[in-house]
Amino acid sequence: MKTKLFRFLSTFLLLFAFGFNLQAQSISGTVTDENGVPLPGATVLVQGTDNGVSTDFDGNYSINASSGDTLVFSFVGYSTQSVVVGSSATINVSLQPDNALDEVVVTALGISREKKTLGYAITEVSSESINTVKDHNIANSLVGKIPGLNITQAGTIGSGSRIVIRGNNSLSGNTQALIVVDGIPINDNGINSGGSVYNNNITGGGISDINPNDVESITVLKGPNAAALYGSRAGNGVILVTTKKGTKGSKFGVTINSNTTLDQVMFLPDFQNVYGQGSAGNAATSLADFTGSSWGPKADGSSQLYFDGSQRAYTAKPDNVEDFFENGIKSINSISIDSSTENSTYRFSYTNNDTESILPGARLSSHNFNLRGTSQLNDKLSIDTKVTFFSQDVRGKARTGGEGVVSTVFSIPRTVDMNDMKKYQMDNPASDADYRVINWDKLGSNTANPYWMMLHDQDIENRERFFGFTKLNYEFTDWLSGFIRIGTDVTNTGLYTVRQAGHHWYPSGRIERRGDRSGELNSEFLLTAKQDLTEDINMVLNIGGNMSRRTYSASWMYGEDFKINSKPFFSNTMINRFTDTPQEIKKVNSLYGSANFAYDNWAYVDVSARNDWSSTLGADNRSYLYTSVNASLLLQDFVDPDRKVFDLFKVRGSVANVGNDTSPYQLVQTFSVPGQGYLGLTTLNAPSTRLNPNLKPENIESTEFGLELSMFDNKLNFDLSLYNIKTTDLIFSVPVPAATGYSFFLENIGEVTNKGVELSLGGTVLNTGSITWNSSIYASKNENKLVSLIDDLSTLVYTTTNSGNLSVQAKVGGGIGDLYGSVWSKDSNGNHIVNDSGRPVATAPDQYLGNAQPDWLGGWSNSFSFGDVSVNFLIDGRFGGQVFSAVSSGADANGTSERSLLYRESGVTLDAVSSSTGAANTASITGQEYWGTMSGIAENYIYSQSNVRLREFSVGYNLPVADALGADSVYLQLIGRNLFFFSKKADDIDPEAMLGTNIGGMGIAYGNLPTTRSLGLNLTLKF
Amino acid sequence: MKKTILYLAFGFLFTFSACTDDFDKINENPTALTAKDVSAKYFVTSAQQAFFGPNRYPYWRGPIIHVDRYAGHTAFGYKGNWWSDGLGYTYTSGYTGAVYDYMEGYNSTLSSFTNFVKPGGTLENDKYYAIALILKGLYYQKYADTFGAAPYIEASNPDITTPKFDSVQTIYEGVIAELDEAITLIGDATTTGSGPQLLGENDLFFNGDMQKWKQLANSLKLKMALRGHGGNGADYSAHVSSALSSGVLANDNALMSRDTEISTWVSAVYGDVWGPFYGGGNWHLGSKLVDHLRNNNDPRLSKYGKPIKGGTFTLERATSGSNTSLFEKHTDFLVKHLKDSGADVTDSGVTGDKRTITVASGAYVGQPVRMNSKIQPHLHRELFSEPADIVVNSKNTGKPIFPQIVMTAAESHFLAAHAALLGIGSGANAHYQTGIRHAMKLWDVADADIDTFIANEPMATLSGTTEENIAKVSIQRWIAYFTEGYEAWAVVRDTGYPDLPGLANTNLDGDMYEIGDLNGHYPQRMRYGSGAYNKNGDNVTAALSTQGPDVQATKLFWAK
Repeated sequence: MKTKLFRFLSTFLLLFAFGFNLQAQSISGTVTDENGVPLPGATVLVQGTDNGVSTDFDGNYSINASSGDTLVFSFVGYSTQSVVVGSSATINVSLQPDNALDEVVVTALGISREKKTLGYAITEVSSESINTVKDHNIANSLVGKIPGLNITQAGTIGSGSRIVIRGNNSLSGNTQALIVVDGIPINDNGINSGGSVYNNNITGGGISDINPNDVESITVLKGPNAAALYGSRAGNGVILVTTKKGTKGSKFGVTINSNTTLDQVMFLPDFQNVYGQGSAGNAATSLADFTGSSWGPKADGSSQLYFDGSQRAYTAKPDNVEDFFENGIKSINSISIDSSTENSTYRFSYTNNDTESILPGARLSSHNFNLRGTSQLNDKLSIDTKVTFFSQDVRGKARTGGEGVVSTVFSIPRTVDMNDMKKYQMDNPASDADYRVINWDKLGSNTANPYWMMLHDQDIENRERFFGFTKLNYEFTDWLSGFIRIGTDVTNTGLYTVRQAGHHWYPSGRIERRGDRSGELNSEFLLTAKQDLTEDINMVLNIGGNMSRRTYSASWMYGEDFKINSKPFFSNTMINRFTDTPQEIKKVNSLYGSANFAYDNWAYVDVSARNDWSSTLGADNRSYLYTSVNASLLLQDFVDPDRKVFDLFKVRGSVANVGNDTSPYQLVQTFSVPGQGYLGLTTLNAPSTRLNPNLKPENIESTEFGLELSMFDNKLNFDLSLYNIKTTDLIFSVPVPAATGYSFFLENIGEVTNKGVELSLGGTVLNTGSITWNSSIYASKNENKLVSLIDDLSTLVYTTTNSGNLSVQAKVGGGIGDLYGSVWSKDSNGNHIVNDSGRPVATAPDQYLGNAQPDWLGGWSNSFSFGDVSVNFLIDGRFGGQVFSAVSSGADANGTSERSLLYRESGVTLDAVSSSTGAANTASITGQEYWGTMSGIAENYIYSQSNVRLREFSVGYNLPVADALGADSVYLQLIGRNLFFFSKKADDIDPEAMLGTNIGGMGIAYGNLPTTRSLGLNLTLKF
Repeated sequence: MKKTILYLAFGFLFTFSACTDDFDKINENPTALTAKDVSAKYFVTSAQQAFFGPNRYPYWRGPIIHVDRYAGHTAFGYKGNWWSDGLGYTYTSGYTGAVYDYMEGYNSTLSSFTNFVKPGGTLENDKYYAIALILKGLYYQKYADTFGAAPYIEASNPDITTPKFDSVQTIYEGVIAELDEAITLIGDATTTGSGPQLLGENDLFFNGDMQKWKQLANSLKLKMALRGHGGNGADYSAHVSSALSSGVLANDNALMSRDTEISTWVSAVYGDVWGPFYGGGNWHLGSKLVDHLRNNNDPRLSKYGKPIKGGTFTLERATSGSNTSLFEKHTDFLVKHLKDSGADVTDSGVTGDKRTITVASGAYVGQPVRMNSKIQPHLHRELFSEPADIVVNSKNTGKPIFPQIVMTAAESHFLAAHAALLGIGSGANAHYQTGIRHAMKLWDVADADIDTFIANEPMATLSGTTEENIAKVSIQRWIAYFTEGYEAWAVVRDTGYPDLPGLANTNLDGDMYEIGDLNGHYPQRMRYGSGAYNKNGDNVTAALSTQGPDVQATKLFWAK
């Protein structure tokens, strides 16, 4: 802990020291409205930085900026204005009222459009919004800020998140949004996305590799309507990330940002501290008899046999679980340098992320280098190039599921001291038996020791990612321009795991190494023509094309059974196997175009079309066309000509059609040769899936309507979207009875619908001059329904628990993520049923228990400013939706939960009827028997996902020490994440935590790392 | 110049969408073979291994957790074990579902082989097709005997997504007819052909010897005919007679050698659970099995298991809960069982809350089956016999592992004896004793010891009433099926021998026996997996309307 604090402090000292020899000046002035009336609470920001202040009661401000910086003045209801700092120390600005018609947003293919002209919903999030309370994965910074976005986390350092926009449109694993960075689609598939109840190593990828500091803005194209120009990749919506570049006209500038937080376990399950290790009320009397459960006698301090063979006082150790977790520290430091010449801009940034998990020995470190340059080569030709290199090393990533370290920690018997687990192996082991893991269960059992898992075994993940593009832009004439762009994205991932000799599952040891390489190359062009067709009708025409080449290759090897126990390496293993996936190639060629018509500045119509040719489909099916039509009408002049209430009254509508294709090799039936035959003989594996040469792409149709209002001098804004998305021809390996000769038929099947509402309401709540308070509320609801599969089939099962008592399904008439499980049987009169020995009788696990998708998602963000102090907080919540807590059921079965205290002393004769006679039950069972049975009944552990929490909090202050440091500005923020729950219905778990980031990972919480509360500082120095 | 380059670039990009020439080529999987690349023999190995040597998941959940215990061959639920021996008497869908998924899922392996070699198939060959039919018979017999009705007539047809279920009797009669077809196809042939057609070592049972396949077909036909005989009033005596006259496995065994170096996730053995999970997941020999061996001086006792370790144990009264008052009853039961089993026991008697027993090592004591969690704290593992090393040896240790039994010569003779006792054929006692001899040879019992056993033990001669003789034959069949619990369990259900808790007496003492969902009854089948309902629900429901409810107590048509 001391070393962590030292690092924490030294980071800051280093940053301060760095800054002393640079220059800055103080700029001050007054911000007024169009009539010269001072505007209090207006924001003044140095562009491209977090350096910002608010004007005081008299509209005055003072900010540190350097000559060449651009100051951005903004105020709700007024157009934003930018001024480049020159030699003068005073800059007065008069803001013009914003008729809310001028906001420009980035749309599909990176085309900037005026928001008013768009016929579909689009949401933009600023750099500031994701960079204040920073997360290493920017996806997690979008939670609660965008209506219609559902983000869940598997919750361990370096793992990805699941981003679903407007519900699940597909039945297969990939229902995640496409991530596009600066116009280039990137690979967002984690190579392992989890979903098993046993053991998941969830790797990150895609958006988690993007450095938050480099992000200028994020635009979410919600659903097919906004994303239609991405054709067969648009099925799940698109997240457009625009990264920063140097600002033209700015001088050499340096920004240093240091974001350091301390992470602590937010909450743990409620454990009992009355009874100790043992079974049926007995403590073990010999070492051979030890069990891992806490069904022993009262922990009364009497002398009892301890797992290490000694006699110890038999007392509860209330903190034994908490003791295992450490304080995590997350430290993200970055430096960016930007500069410009007359015709060129440059920006370089480097970010270092060093995160120590709350798990002992677990650590993430990453380096991100980014270089961006733009240049106006002549009056027509300009070039824009970016190169990003990212390298990450994660050690000791916790695995979710029942065999992960967290499940192990939670199951420690209540009378065992966690500190005694630190000795996990005998000193100087000689025989195989000596190597066996020491744990609280009997010696040599398969119970894990959490310290062994974290400190002795190895779990290492390396990722290296190269990402870059070059774009040449050419202005042919004043009405015609075009660009060509080539972008590439290559990721190499290496996984290395060691299970040391004596391991609880692999007593003779195991090594595994896996390497994955995925790449994507996009070559594209776009021509843009602008013409006024008549005086009232303007047209913009875009025509483009893209060649996408995506590759994947992998190799995997493992070795088992160490010849010599002491060291793990491959040639020291008795059995080893190698599997190779040569490069798979998928190509998609596309041609697309859009025409945007504007009539008299109040009516707008867009049409778009895209044709894709995919190599993964047969010659007859590989070409397919997607279209969309959008319209936007600005009616304020008709509805409220005097602008008494409405500054903007916009209705919009859109119909779009997009797709989803498949992966390579899905058409022709083949046989594989397993690496391992039988008795040295070659064997062949017949395919269990019947492939389909006539596969077509999935078809997604979406209709969307919206209403946008801006009222009371733009102080109140309202946005409503209604959508209806229908997916047909879903590509899916349909599980069929194996009696057909196959286990799966790969088919285009069925229909899935998603209907929903998205709502946002925001504005200025208070503006007294010295204090301003802006507030926004977001809410969204999505209803997902599986309308049909193939004839005769009504159910798909994604995940099933070990005992089979609960499964995550998609059922016709229901939705994706339906939870089915067992309940306590009742007779026709509603009496519970027990068997002749008095134990509850469970039904088959076929009862509907809920759905893993929340009904409503909502967020409430607030920002206050008074003088140099600004306060932001975000409260968000999810309402409805269910989750099965395998954590709770396990703790009840084990006797470690507080719940399991019930019936311990007396046993219970349950108020129920006998299954054989129907007569009232008279048989008594013990508490252990009661919980042993009840813990296996799924309905007892179905919890509501509803929760409301203080997600993000920050207090910022522009430190008046910039001059002393020689800096332009020194901005310090106290930041916090996940501070507390206002309400949470689920016992023991964070209902947002899921088994994995794929579709099968939802609905079950098991072995997730406890949610952490983060508190820290964010310091930005600008020179 | 610059302009020219740009126009060229745009022009190039414009034409690209026509470039789909290489699309078919890049979408060919370089690591997979197509039908023209392969020989049928490779599929024989897969088809044998996948069913008789599945991976650890169904192996653990099938033989170890369920059928060996249902058969009374093994018991777990001793003190410190993961499980109570009551497991399996209450429905746990994930555990039986794993067995269902394995059995049901095997059809895709079998079908793809069958479709290749059947008339008109890509690799058409009537001898391979005969093998496919015999494997299909072995498969359906075990599948239907474990779960009951299953898709059979409409199965293996990809055009029928949800095939109808057929009754066990329909399956039995269909399989017998297909075995007859296989027997005819084989005729006098000894091989599957020559060159790439020659089966040879890829046949894990008989090294490609087609006449042995024919004997296997007859043995299987004999077993199914005899098992089904009398069920629903069926008369299969003609099938029994024709099988015997065509020639059963009289001297050879259909065994599948264990691969002792294979990954547990390809093919598992007992040792894959016994070794790595030392302690938590182990098991003992069941008391009924040990009693039959010990009480008849059967030389297989030391081949099947090990003597107990013994030791001094202080049994303690539970300090809380309803178990407190059962202390005397539980420990009395245990002490009596140890003494009845011939163990040397020094018993302190109950003094307050303790009872100390000292048990000498060396005796063979089986663990009573179906004990519940209440008595579990007193069932110390040192008090019961573990399986022999050859049964539970781990892989990759260079140690031998007992092979998987498919069908044995012993069984052919026991079946012939049983048939003779029913008046079909003759020579009951001779077949019985030959059967015992083959069964003992399987476990490397010395000839002299076999001779002594047959000469001296009343158990070895059919000298009683027909019913007593049928009991002896059935029990010897049951003993001979040690390590193949599916069949041993079927023998118990079919013949009623040996008597196991819940079979004759359903009124078990809930203070120590597991009552379970079965409410004291003996498990007669396993319940269908949830996959059956999810994928083919209407046809399951239809099958249940004639078979009876989907519970473990529902008897199959041939059950006693």
